[in-house]
Amino acid sequence: MRTSFHLLLLTFLLSWQASAAEQRQSNEKPPKTDLSELLKIQSDVQKLLPRVRQALVAIQSGDGTASGVIISADGLMLTAAHVPNDPGKDMKVILEDGTVTTAKSLGLDKTTDAALARLKDRGKPWPFVNLSREVAKAQPGEWCFALGHPGGFDKARGPVLRVGRIIKQTANSLHSDCVLMGGDSGGPLFNFNGEVIGIHSQIWEGRDQNVHVSMAPFLRSWEAMQKSQVIKTWGTGAGGYLGVATVMNDRLDLEVADVIDASPALEAGIRAGDVILSVNGEAMTDQQQFSATVKARAAGDTLKLRLRTHDKERDVSVQLAQKPQDEGQ
Amino acid sequence: MFPSNWPKSRRMKDSKQMTKDEFKMTNGRPAALRARVPLSFGLRHSAFLVLLSPLLLHADPPRLPLPQEDRTNGKHTLAAVERLKPLTVACAARIESPLGRAICTATIVGEDGYVLIKASEVPEVHKTRIKFSDGRSADLREVHRETRLDLLLAQAVGITGLRAVSFGGAHSLGLGQWLCSVADAGKETRIGIVSAKFRRIPGEGAAMGIRMDAKASKDGKGVRIVGIASESPAEAAGLQEDDVLITIAGEKVGAQDRVYDIVRKRQPGEIIDIHYLRKDKEESCRVRLASRSKVLNNWEGEDFANGGVSLRSDNFPEVLQHDIPLLPADMGGPVATLEGKVVGINIARVDRVTTFALPVEAFWTEAQLWIKADRHPPKAVLAQ
Repeated sequence: MRTSFHLLLLTFLLSWQASAAEQRQSNEKPPKTDLSELLKIQSDVQKLLPRVRQALVAIQSGDGTASGVIISADGLMLTAAHVPNDPGKDMKVILEDGTVTTAKSLGLDKTTDAALARLKDRGKPWPFVNLSREVAKAQPGEWCFALGHPGGFDKARGPVLRVGRIIKQTANSLHSDCVLMGGDSGGPLFNFNGEVIGIHSQIWEGRDQNVHVSMAPFLRSWEAMQKSQVIKTWGTGAGGYLGVATVMNDRLDLEVADVIDASPALEAGIRAGDVILSVNGEAMTDQQQFSATVKARAAGDTLKLRLRTHDKERDVSVQLAQKPQDEGQ
Repeated sequence: MFPSNWPKSRRMKDSKQMTKDEFKMTNGRPAALRARVPLSFGLRHSAFLVLLSPLLLHADPPRLPLPQEDRTNGKHTLAAVERLKPLTVACAARIESPLGRAICTATIVGEDGYVLIKASEVPEVHKTRIKFSDGRSADLREVHRETRLDLLLAQAVGITGLRAVSFGGAHSLGLGQWLCSVADAGKETRIGIVSAKFRRIPGEGAAMGIRMDAKASKDGKGVRIVGIASESPAEAAGLQEDDVLITIAGEKVGAQDRVYDIVRKRQPGEIIDIHYLRKDKEESCRVRLASRSKVLNNWEGEDFANGGVSLRSDNFPEVLQHDIPLLPADMGGPVATLEGKVVGINIARVDRVTTFALPVEAFWTEAQLWIKADRHPPKAVLAQ
């Protein structure tokens, strides 16, 4: 974990950049930035910095270094999942002022690289920043700034600031041109309210290819992460794939409306008209619950479904698959 | 049977909504159900959320990725600093190899051809040319080399009427202050901010990036290389594992400590000649040394995706650190505030996030003395 970063060299990234240039949206402000806009950004960053930098921490875990950010007075902390890598792990934490303390990792979402930790010392209020709950507001074009300890804690240097713009928003991440490197992992990306909108996670080779975990997976999995659970799915983070479409029938049963060709469901013998009674013993009452249940499991996991077909009940075991590329979100 | 969620289920039933188990509903939905969509839109929307992403919680649809030109260093943003070009780009020049390859950038400090350059990038001034933004080019004459600052004062031969930079103090700049820098071999500008504290960068000397056999070779005639660092000076010079070093900078080497001593006391950027044996055949090469700290930290390519780093990246009395996206060939160029005051000279591209500039206070008083001494050399005193 010396570099604390994933490097993904993906060519598709270049293709979205190219297509984006051709498809400018019409309702945006005039394209050219003027000096006053830059100076406003500068004064806003300089006003927020003395407060928000206090919540930044350097993390030393194993032989690697990373970053994190405190988000409550009682010491809850956000970082990247690949920093602790497991729940219940002790990590040495250094605050911006040089205070050294210890944190324990709580839950983490290995799919999106989101992780929660807690400073062990509960005796005093910790400096903290708020996280933004308005995930959708972090849109391409918005200015943002990043803090972190690239290369590890360096007292003479202090935390390193970067100012840039959001380039892309995905379901679980933000891309920005705030340039990151090893040691930044887990550090915060801020909006101009001084709220955390991202946690540094990955880079590609280009200078504009810096990926932050957005607040979406944190907000979504908050309770699970507080309970030190590990959210783990494979591949692209889409969760397990069963391949059925459901409908609530006239008797308010959860009924299979369609089964996708070549899906695990079809192979397991699930057919349209089957009523889904339970999954792994948990009674299913609506589609939302069912979908969440399936999605919470990784490709490769096995689900036990209790089905009713023509008034006969039976159990079916299905091994979830990776979601096919062309049906993804 | 459904005491608590009955109303919800009712509505769900009314809408006959259906979803595939994790994503969009596009093609799987029977046409008969499609007609009911307006009735059930609100609910269907909220049921969808769990499946898709929190993005859909909000009315704003996610926008397309930000086009290149709107990014921090895209042309629309850089329009804000376009008017500074006469104070920045026009006061810089490009140092080239005889074949026209960009070596580094120079900052013009005297209208009569004086320029400051990153010294370690030009160990051999006579093998370079300088090219100005007005199209003129000239040979360079080395005036003063200050290794402590990694600065070289040179004069473009036969050139006058240049525009020299106007210096302003750097020490008053705080974190987050915008800066702009000359980039693209002296042609363009890029912006960024002061990104960390002013400070001294200690030096750990030079290295070429080899690991050696602790034992001297059997016949005691050389030292065998057992490992080469990624992107190191040794790798660039073509040295390989199992090569046996015989002489370094003219000195015979019989043990690894000797090699270490010879290399360590030299400066990053210096060139040393090496003779070695490869498969019992004698060969030679020239190695340009780099900062030891950089070579060691990047032994296995840990510092990837950095876009290139300077050979000398440490041992500076004071630096201003900024996040302007530059390349090693941009070093030596001026860094200015958005008012056009030049506050420093870029001195080292260190890693993906770090560029160092020497702040004006660290060199300008001294550099003015070098220029003065060169313009007005002490008169020769006639011997009695």
